[in-house]
Amino acid sequence: MSDQATIGIFLLLTLAFPAGAMAAAWLFRPAPIQSAEKRTPYECGVDTRGPSWMRFRVNYFLYALVFLAFDVETIFLYPWAVRFQALGLFAFVEMLVFIAILALGLWYAWKEGALQWY
Amino acid sequence: MPYGLLAPEIAVTSLGLVVLGVGLLSRPRPHPAVRVLAVSGLALVLCWVALTFTRQASFFGGVYQVDSFASFFRLLFLSAALLVLLMSGRYAARFGPRLAEWYAFLLFATAGMMVMAGSGDLIALYVGLELMTVSFYVLSGYLLADARSAEAGLKYLVLGALSSAVMLFGMSLVFATARSTVFTAIAAAVAAPAPSPPALLAGIALLAAGFAFKVAAVPFHMWAPDIYQGAPTPVTAYLAVASKAAAFAALLRVFLAALPGQLPDWQPVVALLAAVTIVAGNLIALAQTDVKRLLAYSSIAQAGYLLVGLSAANPYGLRGVLFYAMLYVFANVGAFAVLTLVEVDTGGTGLDSFNGLGQRAPMLAMVMTVCLLSLAGIPPLAGFAGKFYLFAGAVQAGYLWLAFVGLLMSMVSVYYYLSVAKAMYIGPAERTAPVTVPSPARLCLWVCLAATLAIGIYPGPLSALAQVSALLP
Repeated sequence: MSDQATIGIFLLLTLAFPAGAMAAAWLFRPAPIQSAEKRTPYECGVDTRGPSWMRFRVNYFLYALVFLAFDVETIFLYPWAVRFQALGLFAFVEMLVFIAILALGLWYAWKEGALQWY
Repeated sequence: MPYGLLAPEIAVTSLGLVVLGVGLLSRPRPHPAVRVLAVSGLALVLCWVALTFTRQASFFGGVYQVDSFASFFRLLFLSAALLVLLMSGRYAARFGPRLAEWYAFLLFATAGMMVMAGSGDLIALYVGLELMTVSFYVLSGYLLADARSAEAGLKYLVLGALSSAVMLFGMSLVFATARSTVFTAIAAAVAAPAPSPPALLAGIALLAAGFAFKVAAVPFHMWAPDIYQGAPTPVTAYLAVASKAAAFAALLRVFLAALPGQLPDWQPVVALLAAVTIVAGNLIALAQTDVKRLLAYSSIAQAGYLLVGLSAANPYGLRGVLFYAMLYVFANVGAFAVLTLVEVDTGGTGLDSFNGLGQRAPMLAMVMTVCLLSLAGIPPLAGFAGKFYLFAGAVQAGYLWLAFVGLLMSMVSVYYYLSVAKAMYIGPAERTAPVTVPSPARLCLWVCLAATLAIGIYPGPLSALAQVSALLP
């Protein structure tokens, strides 16, 4: 089978899937009840109170940035820790340099007041 | 592996980190040692690169290349950073408590540029590019209290991210056809099929568009004037000179090392981009009354001249790109140094703030005139020799029309460059007090002046250096 045929079959399946799912739902569902609640746009979580165009504290963003830096650090630390024996001293020093640079970043963020909640 | 050859990149990065640390220790007023540390550190790295210029090595299976091409551009970036640091002293006082970070970000941007010039792989190139541009996002919005600077920072962030996305998409298409990100492997993989596959062509087109954004070539130049005008003047100088050169270094590497077999595909595109850029940049510059904006449009036009060398794609033109990029550093930083001093003195960057500068500060007026005439390509200044190489290369490659467009528009450019000289020498002088020039800035001005004159009168050594450093398809 040629590549194009594979892509074509994929395309047909993708088109058929939502149609099939909706047809099955239509077939098996109980008779729908109409209510005002059902006509509101779907939103997960709690209903908002008051205007949603409000200003958020910039601290959320700063926390997120600091968190992201250390999250990524963890991702790098895992494979290094798993292969620690094989990678040896060079990788150990490399990792120390990496953590030192990130620590400097944390120090900077700390001094800038990113960890302070106003 | 000879890690000593990676010392410049490591040293500049560590220097940036140390500067950041010293700045944190000496809050709220940054210690004066920060500046001395940054300048002397850069000078040492510059000497090291010059001394190890002829040594070459390939790292990590070709992912990182230290060759004479990379070393040439390292010299360029380091000289530009040094000159900008020297001339920015008085202006940098505006940065207040964030002075140490200004040095740190400048050093990080320099490190990113050096990685770009040395990268032999698409991913390494992208990492260097982002290190450079993210630093510049911060630097262009550095004067937070100034609405224009804040606007410049935000605009650069949005448009820079857009252009990076375009470039990444191009890289992914090239990777899809070549199945490698290393330049040598790409060149080997895509050399075989005679007509390039459409995916590769699309990838080349997107890469060209992404690089055209970064070098501010028309029609991808719309970000440049606003950002160049809004950013703090020393940042604009560094942005116009070094970030442009870095984008050119990466552009040359990708097109000549990874895609030399596709030369017939990209050559006419680059030639067309060059022609449009030269014409539009010079014509719009004619209408400017603000010197900072005028220099922004002039730097768009200068990118066009550099593109002429790439479109020629022969030894003459490619040597010309390197030669011109280097002399452009001295001419443009010289002009921006004068602009910075005038801005600190008068508070404005309009043409009228240059009125009477000829009497107030003859030295500044002379450096400005020489640098601008060099940018215009008037003999015996450096710009003439550079344009001679670029246009001669274009003629040799059969792009006679392109050389003609370049020559014609160089003549047009003399008008707006001389309009600044006119304001300085025969403009009505409202002020008479002499402009104070601190000694580091004076050193920067002398270096720019001397280099512009010396390269123009005796282009031999730099030309030879550019010749051994040029990449060839």
